[in-house]
Amino acid sequence: MRTRNTQTMKTFLWQPPGGVVGLSIVLTALLCSCEQVIGVDLNQAAPQVVIEGIVTDQPGPYSVTLTKSGNYFEQSLYFPPVTNALVVLSDDIGDRDTLKEGIPGTYQSSSVLRGMPGRTYALKVETGGKGYDAFSTMPQKVAIDSLFAVPRRGSSSEPGYDIYLLFKDPPELGNYYRVNVHVSDPLVAMDSIDGRRYRLYSDKLTNGNEALYRVRARRTVVPGDTITVDLLSLDKATYEYYRTLNDILTSDRSPTSLSPANPNTNLSSGSLGYFTAYAIDTKKIVLR
Amino acid sequence: MLLKRLIYYFARCLRSIASMKSLPVFLSPPLSDQPLAFTLRPSLQGAERNAPLQAMLVLLILLALLVPDRGMGEDKYSLNGTIKSAENGEILIGAYVIVKELKGVGSSSNAYGFYSLTIPEGRYTLLVQYLGYRILADTVLVNRSQTINFELTPEAIKVGEVVVSGERSDANVTSTQMSESKLEMREVRSIPVLLGERDILKTIQLLPGVKSAGEGNTGFYARGGGVDQNLILLDEAPVYNPSHALGYLSVFNADAVKDVKLITGGIPAEYGGRLSSVLDIRTNDGNMKEFGASGGVGLIATRLTLQGPIVADEGSYLVSARRTYADMFLKLSSDTLINRTSLYFYDLNAKANYKLGEKDRIFLSGYFGRDNFNYPDVIGFNWGNAAATARWNHIFGEQFFANTTLTFSDYTYANTVGAATNQYEITSGIKDFNLKADFQYFIGSHNSVKFGMNAIYHTFFPGAVTAGPTSFTNTIALENKQALENALYASHEFEIIPDIAINYGLRLSSFSLLGPAHLYTYDSYGDIESAAAYPSGKFITTYTSLEPRFAATALLNESSSIKASYNRTAQYLHLLSNSTTTNPSDLWVPSTNNIKPQYADQVALGYFRNFEDNAFEASLEVYYKSMQNLIDYRNGADLQLNPNVESLLLFGKGWSYGAEFLLRKKVGPLTGWIGYTLSQTREQFDEINQGQVFPARQDRTHDVSVVVVYDLNSTWNLSAVWVYNTGNAVTFPAGNYWIDRRLVPYYTERNAYRMPAYHRLDLSATWKLGEKSSLNFSVYNAYNRMNAYAIYFRQMKSDPTKTEAVQITLFPFIPSVTYNFAF
Repeated sequence: MRTRNTQTMKTFLWQPPGGVVGLSIVLTALLCSCEQVIGVDLNQAAPQVVIEGIVTDQPGPYSVTLTKSGNYFEQSLYFPPVTNALVVLSDDIGDRDTLKEGIPGTYQSSSVLRGMPGRTYALKVETGGKGYDAFSTMPQKVAIDSLFAVPRRGSSSEPGYDIYLLFKDPPELGNYYRVNVHVSDPLVAMDSIDGRRYRLYSDKLTNGNEALYRVRARRTVVPGDTITVDLLSLDKATYEYYRTLNDILTSDRSPTSLSPANPNTNLSSGSLGYFTAYAIDTKKIVLR
Repeated sequence: MLLKRLIYYFARCLRSIASMKSLPVFLSPPLSDQPLAFTLRPSLQGAERNAPLQAMLVLLILLALLVPDRGMGEDKYSLNGTIKSAENGEILIGAYVIVKELKGVGSSSNAYGFYSLTIPEGRYTLLVQYLGYRILADTVLVNRSQTINFELTPEAIKVGEVVVSGERSDANVTSTQMSESKLEMREVRSIPVLLGERDILKTIQLLPGVKSAGEGNTGFYARGGGVDQNLILLDEAPVYNPSHALGYLSVFNADAVKDVKLITGGIPAEYGGRLSSVLDIRTNDGNMKEFGASGGVGLIATRLTLQGPIVADEGSYLVSARRTYADMFLKLSSDTLINRTSLYFYDLNAKANYKLGEKDRIFLSGYFGRDNFNYPDVIGFNWGNAAATARWNHIFGEQFFANTTLTFSDYTYANTVGAATNQYEITSGIKDFNLKADFQYFIGSHNSVKFGMNAIYHTFFPGAVTAGPTSFTNTIALENKQALENALYASHEFEIIPDIAINYGLRLSSFSLLGPAHLYTYDSYGDIESAAAYPSGKFITTYTSLEPRFAATALLNESSSIKASYNRTAQYLHLLSNSTTTNPSDLWVPSTNNIKPQYADQVALGYFRNFEDNAFEASLEVYYKSMQNLIDYRNGADLQLNPNVESLLLFGKGWSYGAEFLLRKKVGPLTGWIGYTLSQTREQFDEINQGQVFPARQDRTHDVSVVVVYDLNSTWNLSAVWVYNTGNAVTFPAGNYWIDRRLVPYYTERNAYRMPAYHRLDLSATWKLGEKSSLNFSVYNAYNRMNAYAIYFRQMKSDPTKTEAVQITLFPFIPSVTYNFAF
């Protein structure tokens, strides 16, 4: 009974087009591939300002983080913060908030500004004699209709659960989504279930339809765990940023793939990072 | 309907050519600014619009007729005919007929084996020769124009036998064509390749000026041009995607191929439509004498060819098929998903030709190939080319050869996603109807004219989604586009003064995007600025290009010459791909209001010298090529199913220059070549790399290939290939940063780094098991060089705060064995 159910779910799977990369991996796997560590000398770019600013439809404070980029081969968990910058958030109804620096490099809003779907937000940053700005319009919130989990079956798949979410795309073309999955277990970092990959969807092929999406849980989760799923309604620029960022993070490393480049950002002055305003709908499910 | 249009168009062209004799046309005003897209509308005043072309052709023919032929004044007669193999009746392409008594007088057979010579009355010895065949000497009394057909007997090479020939071909020195390479099929059969599957496209990558698009890949770059800038013709039909298995094997089944010619510079006027090279592949016509079967069993594919006469010496047929069988092993799996998985490709070549009397011959040929990959209930791919060609050769009088070709070709790609209740299919493709007429007029010795026309009706299918009835995916179809690509050309080759010959020509090409269509204009951010709709049949945008072609040869002495060439080429079709080599999902798009045609200008200069009685050929060529309107993409361009795909394109320029050295031995038990290329290729796009010039990915400073084929004795044939090249230009990060809890590489300069140098040795030995069958043993990467296929970066396991570079090697030492047979 349950097995049949799983099969039905599988057939409902929606996958983004462009599986040629997958085919390429299969073919490459058929041939032997060997790896070895080699020495590569890389030039070191001058440190760049990296901006990450997020406004949501949830109550604030909203924060903007400023850091600097570092040396490629000397990665650390700590990147130098950009302190004493002027960071201003404003919206299209005349609210304006100069953010206060809390922990170095993190600037937080007060209650002046409230994230609301349909409004356009502007970010302005001044530091090191340079100005950066960006705009983002928060889309209307799309709600998750239902959420369920199905234990994974089959000899070739790893154990765990497949999480499915069902939601209805609005009739107009041009809706973009990101899905985040968290596990309640406090020992598991918030996004470890996600890995580095982004779960991004556009309504290019499914406009106006109610569709079922599978978000495969990579980590083994056990009965009793609570799974939280966030459906983020993104504007186009944010979707493009995440999509091109995801391209870099998941590149198939093939020499025939196009030259990598920095993600498409909505920030002016060609700085790194992005500014976004999105709406979040959250649902939880307890695994049985 | 379409056919009717084409026939109408063709009739118009023929009429315009026929009316060239009228001088008033010649005097009509030169180059009007009217587009060349003239002939599909019956109401147009075609004659006037054709004026520049007619003028051009008339001028050429007048010139040709006016050029003094040596020995003028005497009565002259024409000899013509066909040169074939006595063994199987196959036409020999590029065979030579030399008049022993008249120094420097001769002719070579064209792609249909036809030759024509004009000489004074007298008794002569004609020497007919073709590489690998015994020289035929025939004494003829010339007192009238006549047809003489020749049949040459293959030369059985015996070890120790010294073939003495004072008349060996020196065409590489004397012809006006430079930057041309011909592959000997004997060499192609011996040269070791990956997994023993012999492959023309991999073999041409061993020639100077030609570079592989990636390890084991059939895509190639010619003199710095892109993989989409090569005009690949299979029996005159353009092939849009020449690869199987994601580029690891080419679609050309070597068993069916007779002649391969690659031109990378001084491209003659009869070829057009691509910027960088012409790869002209001719397949066997089929044995005219007797039925034969041949084939091979290799590690990945099995091949079978059947051929024979329809009526002996009148007509023949050939059917050649190939299929891979890696997926057969998947069936052995107990996993129901795996044993239902399919992964294979096949090719089918079929040909027939028939002689309709002495003056006419028709050829029908077809190609059909498909790749299939299907992972049940998840994803499936099916893609391939189909082509059908009908050709008609006609000989007018003794000196005038005509070939008319009608081709249908099509490339389709289908990707099936999901299964049962939510299945949908994504398709895209291109379809062509192509009508071509080529005329060759042999005026005299070293004096000939070629002219012709070409009309192609393209239909582009940029993408459609077909959803199953219960699917929640929408059925979407992007608008198809239609275009008409036309060309008229003429060229004239003659000897101006003894030892100096030139070939000058002009190709006038045009490209019109036809309605119905919706066109958009985009601002500098790629957002739609304006939109317009055009009705069916409307000529929306028309580009017209004049492409001059010029080549000259000056003989320094018996065995050396200097050659020079210039050509301009235009390309109206563009390949959009999320990869730098050919991919199944490749999208061909037409030139539109947003996409301008690509142009290239190339000059080349070469010194050619033969040694040891033409046994060794040596050449040194230098070239400079500049390219305009090259295409690159905005970052993260999503090319699939995008109605605004043109907004994602960036346009820039490129240039390539270099020197190519080749030393080649074509006769005797030991043959092969050494090629070396020193070159540089640069590109510049305003939106890429801050507008700074950057090295193209295919920029490889040094490129060496050594090919040796040796007939050890009557049972063993040995061969070896060694290649070396500078690594590709590649983009690496120059820093990193955290964003959204992810560590992200930071990129600054495009292609600022190099992959490590690449080198490899392949060996092959063929053991002949009697007359008809053989076993081939080969080793790819004999000294197991760990070449870098790709380099990626990862966190070190011992210290996750540090990053290390990891190199992936794709093909280590790989042995293979293939069994070939014939009966």
